Amino acid sequence: MHTSRTVLALFKSADDETLCNPLMTGIPGIIRLRAGDNAVASLENLKRVGIEPSLSIVSGRLYPGERPDLVAALRRLFPATEVLLLASAADPFPPLQPLAADLVRHLAISPAAPGSQGSREAKCQFLAAIKKLVEGRPWKMADHLRPGTPVQAHNVSSSAQKEELIALIEALIAGDSAEIELLRQRGALLADELLENALYDAPQREDGSKIYRKGEERSIAPQERIVFRFGFDGEILAMEIADGWGSLSPDLVLKHLAGNQHGPEMADDAGGRGLFIIWRIMDQFHVNITPGRRTVVGGHLKAASPLDLDAPRGFHISTHF
Amino acid sequence: MQTPFTIEPKNSDGFDCFAFHGNIDALAETQMKELPRRIRQPLVKFDFRNTGRINSMGIALLLRCLKTIKEENKPQIRLIQVSPMNAMLFKMTGLLLLAELDGAQPERPARGGN
Repeated sequence: MHTSRTVLALFKSADDETLCNPLMTGIPGIIRLRAGDNAVASLENLKRVGIEPSLSIVSGRLYPGERPDLVAALRRLFPATEVLLLASAADPFPPLQPLAADLVRHLAISPAAPGSQGSREAKCQFLAAIKKLVEGRPWKMADHLRPGTPVQAHNVSSSAQKEELIALIEALIAGDSAEIELLRQRGALLADELLENALYDAPQREDGSKIYRKGEERSIAPQERIVFRFGFDGEILAMEIADGWGSLSPDLVLKHLAGNQHGPEMADDAGGRGLFIIWRIMDQFHVNITPGRRTVVGGHLKAASPLDLDAPRGFHISTHF
Repeated sequence: MQTPFTIEPKNSDGFDCFAFHGNIDALAETQMKELPRRIRQPLVKFDFRNTGRINSMGIALLLRCLKTIKEENKPQIRLIQVSPMNAMLFKMTGLLLLAELDGAQPERPARGGN
């Protein structure tokens, strides 16, 4: 847990800061910096006066395109800072390779149209994310559901339960509209990927090799403790799965997302395709890792979200000890 | 109980056509591995009308199959009756670099789980 609660925000210019402003108001004690050509010198000045941000929000108009060295400089000066990239939905989606290289584990998307209903929701979610990051609290799928929404929790004891659990999710999403049918399909696929990840990707030997083959029938040992949770409040479907392996790492998650992002050389055996699909379908995707002990993968999806591959999606990958 | 995955050859003049039934996942591996050997014509169509859910393992099997077909036979490959959901998956995962989407798309895919 961070002892400092200082939040630093880095913008490219005054215009960039103005665009990000609707999301930034409401963050207490935030230090704003227009990076420009003297970005590193400005950061060094902050260091000299004893400021140690626990969280650094970096504008997508600055990094990785304009200042690819910026996150490395931040980490050198403030080793304990968590970095969140704030990309605009109005801009091209940033390539993830630099984020993977610099271990930028948090990506948030600011709406293209400030002032819309969507932007008000985005602001609430953004402020909630900032609060979690500053306080060091993990993401939970139920955070996104209307209060009072029942959440089902199922202990997974066998791979044979997969189709049964998917059928439960499909039954939960009641309705005949095209929008609801699409949500059912996306929900079923998400559940499939989450379950397969916990059943077959999580269990690893000490050398990192997988213990089980995909599709293999298997029972789950008590100490593995796979718990699958989901809920639907009529608009939002949220789900997450926890396994007792803790074998994922932020570095690996980022590598998988970045590696699958650009298609042309897509290998048929590209690792992490399941995680990539989960990320691209969910409106918000989170991974909480307690190394060697527990991994939680989850997120949520709104019924009204369009089937749009180009829509930017955020993620939050956090580690807890 | 889940409907088992099957590949059904369909009689057509001048092109090969195979319909996929059921979910495409790890359990489809054996049949997908054998499929390239059944291609004879310069055009092959794969019909997804009765396909259920395709997960990441299913995508991997499809990619491997299409790559093998392209390398060995170099035919034109068309994917027909693909649902919007599966079309999105194919685009997301690079499958459409190996094949073309063709024809009307069913709104609702077959339910492979009953």
